Amino acid sequence: MEERKEKIKIKDNNNSKINNGLKNNTDKEVSGDVLKIGKYIFKSRLLIGTGKYPDFETMKDAASASGSEIITVAVRRIDFNSKENLLSYIDLDKYILLPNTAGCYTAEDAVNTLRLARELEVFKTDLVKLEVIGDQKTLYPDNEELLKAAKILVKEGFTVMPYMMDDPVLAKKLEDIGCPVVMPLASPIGSGLGIRNPYNIKIIKETVSVPVIVDAGVGTASDACKTMELGVDGILINTAIAGAGNPVGMASAMKNAVEAGRLSYLSGRIPMKLYAQASTQMEGIVF
Amino acid sequence: MKLELNGKEYFTGQDITVQRLIDELELDLKSTAVAVNKAIVPKSSYPAFVLNENDKIDLVTIAPGG
Repeated sequence: MEERKEKIKIKDNNNSKINNGLKNNTDKEVSGDVLKIGKYIFKSRLLIGTGKYPDFETMKDAASASGSEIITVAVRRIDFNSKENLLSYIDLDKYILLPNTAGCYTAEDAVNTLRLARELEVFKTDLVKLEVIGDQKTLYPDNEELLKAAKILVKEGFTVMPYMMDDPVLAKKLEDIGCPVVMPLASPIGSGLGIRNPYNIKIIKETVSVPVIVDAGVGTASDACKTMELGVDGILINTAIAGAGNPVGMASAMKNAVEAGRLSYLSGRIPMKLYAQASTQMEGIVF
Repeated sequence: MKLELNGKEYFTGQDITVQRLIDELELDLKSTAVAVNKAIVPKSSYPAFVLNENDKIDLVTIAPGG
């Protein structure tokens, strides 16, 4: 609660009518509220993956329902036996494809994967999602290899979006070497556990000046909303949508949750109080 | 001549270039990237890049992922 008060105080300096929230800020702040990653600007704060859907048609519909502008894909050997082509379900005029380095355990492999991706014309930007895995069971990233790879890729002109532990020190290091965004995990990839350490995510947000996108671990729409209420700039979700009973419905739920969470954060929640405070005035009461 | 294509044996004519291999396999150039013996081949080099017997070719594209 103290933290929250402090935040409101800080905001008060900038805008004395913060408690009237939306009325004063909607036009200026909220409608012009965009996500900036390096030189790129996005309206949507939800990024989604393309893995684990029951079929490509569902993936396509879920992507559309999510309102996302960025969707992640992997770079893999062509499967000559596969009859279906993922690309035929993705409208390249509508989405920016973000190549990932999933499955890479060394900086060298991750860097080479993205250099290879650069040869694919379907990737129209230099945005890349960098992940260097350090452990098979948790899929936690390897900090040393991640930093090593990020340094090389930034030098080579990539706009590097690093998937990282929820570690504020590491976030600062990644920012310092030129990553225009950091992407701490909420909990292990595909776990659906939600945010296991919201305090670290808040500290990361306060530590770096680049946007913070929470990547991995969100399980359901309330997780997404709560995550956005922490003040982060976006969320990357795959399994929670792809693995839902109705992925298209969940994609829509996530879209709304991310938007609601963002608005809620910008609008400023009320402080928590232990006792009731009547919302109806007592003045003029008859009995 | 014999090549290793995405981990499997593949037989084709002598002195085939990367470009001709892509044409032979009817691959979409825009969504295909190539590495020969783990070294990335830039698109501009495809027409001139001649493959040798037992070269290990990786032909990659996008796949589902998060």
